[in-house]
Amino acid sequence: MATTTAKTDQTIRVKVASPYQVYFDEQAYSISGVNATGPFDVLPGHHNFITLLEPCELFIRSGAGERKIRINGGLMHIKANMANVFLDV
Amino acid sequence: MKRLSEVVSEQQAMQSVVGLTDIFEGLASMRLAQVKDQVLSSQHFFNELWDIYSQVRTSNQFHYGRGLDKSPLEKELYIAITAEGGFSGDIDQKLISWMLKFYDKSKQDIIIIGHHGALQLTQAGVEFKRYFRLPAHDNNINVEPLIAQVKLYSSTSVFYQTYITLMVQDIKRIELKRAIEDASKQALASNNTRIKGQDYIFEPSPEIVAGHLENTMMQITLTQTILDSKLAQYASRFRSMRRASDKANDMMHELTREYSRTKRFYADERLKEVINGLVKHEARQA
Repeated sequence: MATTTAKTDQTIRVKVASPYQVYFDEQAYSISGVNATGPFDVLPGHHNFITLLEPCELFIRSGAGERKIRINGGLMHIKANMANVFLDV
Repeated sequence: MKRLSEVVSEQQAMQSVVGLTDIFEGLASMRLAQVKDQVLSSQHFFNELWDIYSQVRTSNQFHYGRGLDKSPLEKELYIAITAEGGFSGDIDQKLISWMLKFYDKSKQDIIIIGHHGALQLTQAGVEFKRYFRLPAHDNNINVEPLIAQVKLYSSTSVFYQTYITLMVQDIKRIELKRAIEDASKQALASNNTRIKGQDYIFEPSPEIVAGHLENTMMQITLTQTILDSKLAQYASRFRSMRRASDKANDMMHELTREYSRTKRFYADERLKEVINGLVKHEARQA
């Protein structure tokens, strides 16, 4: 039976939230954004990482498809295969 | 004794007051619930950020996100958060009087948030540096203009109202720097792991990320004090409206009693006139 559920060893937990709203909180194959250096991608198993995000479009690929979230900036924290994106901070 | 029509007209006017105070009480209660929801929903987000900030901090000193090369004014900044309009009970008055006990024009500057507080300072003849409106919305509060002012001063104290229970509100003062350092220590105590440069990739650099987070922590602290103030103001307004509603209801009951008394009085008077007429009529016939 075909399934769209992503396997956890091939995915990374991605949570994108602002103080009053959660925009995305699921397993994903990758997340892409833009920081001061330029565009970057985060894949499962990424090294611990903290970066300030530039205004850009976050691009998330997950079992449910592709999702774009326009942001004004924020902070991304990656640890233990979990990417937390704090918006409006 | 009032005329019956006068009592009826007073009763109708009081009925409108009862209706209005009930509406205001309902509105205050609704806004109270909304702000409480906002506070609760943002708490988890802010706690996670506190955790990261406390682990990332490069030193135990807080620099207001302005870097070490900029020297601030040798004055303290007082920020007072008050209501935008009236109907909030006496809590603003308490807050302003309390702040003015510490105020010395040569040592402090005042920034006032909320029209009600600005009015009270003007009435007291106290000058303030800036006035900001209290944000009408309960979410996405933009505190950047406030932070730009905070960065100019060597230290900042915030005077605000705090919600304890629906019936109890208090006034509070926090020293911004100490509040952030204490909250950071608490967060670190509950999750005692420092983020080290060798375990992490920082972009652009650990210092810039820590500086940005200092700014963020100020945003969060100021946003939370504004939300706490709004919560306390709505509760204080609810309390005032409840008192006004109770008083209006008491007056309504008193007017109803007066209406009955007046009606009985005029009925008795008519009865007396009829009886007197009958007595005179019988006397004439006899």
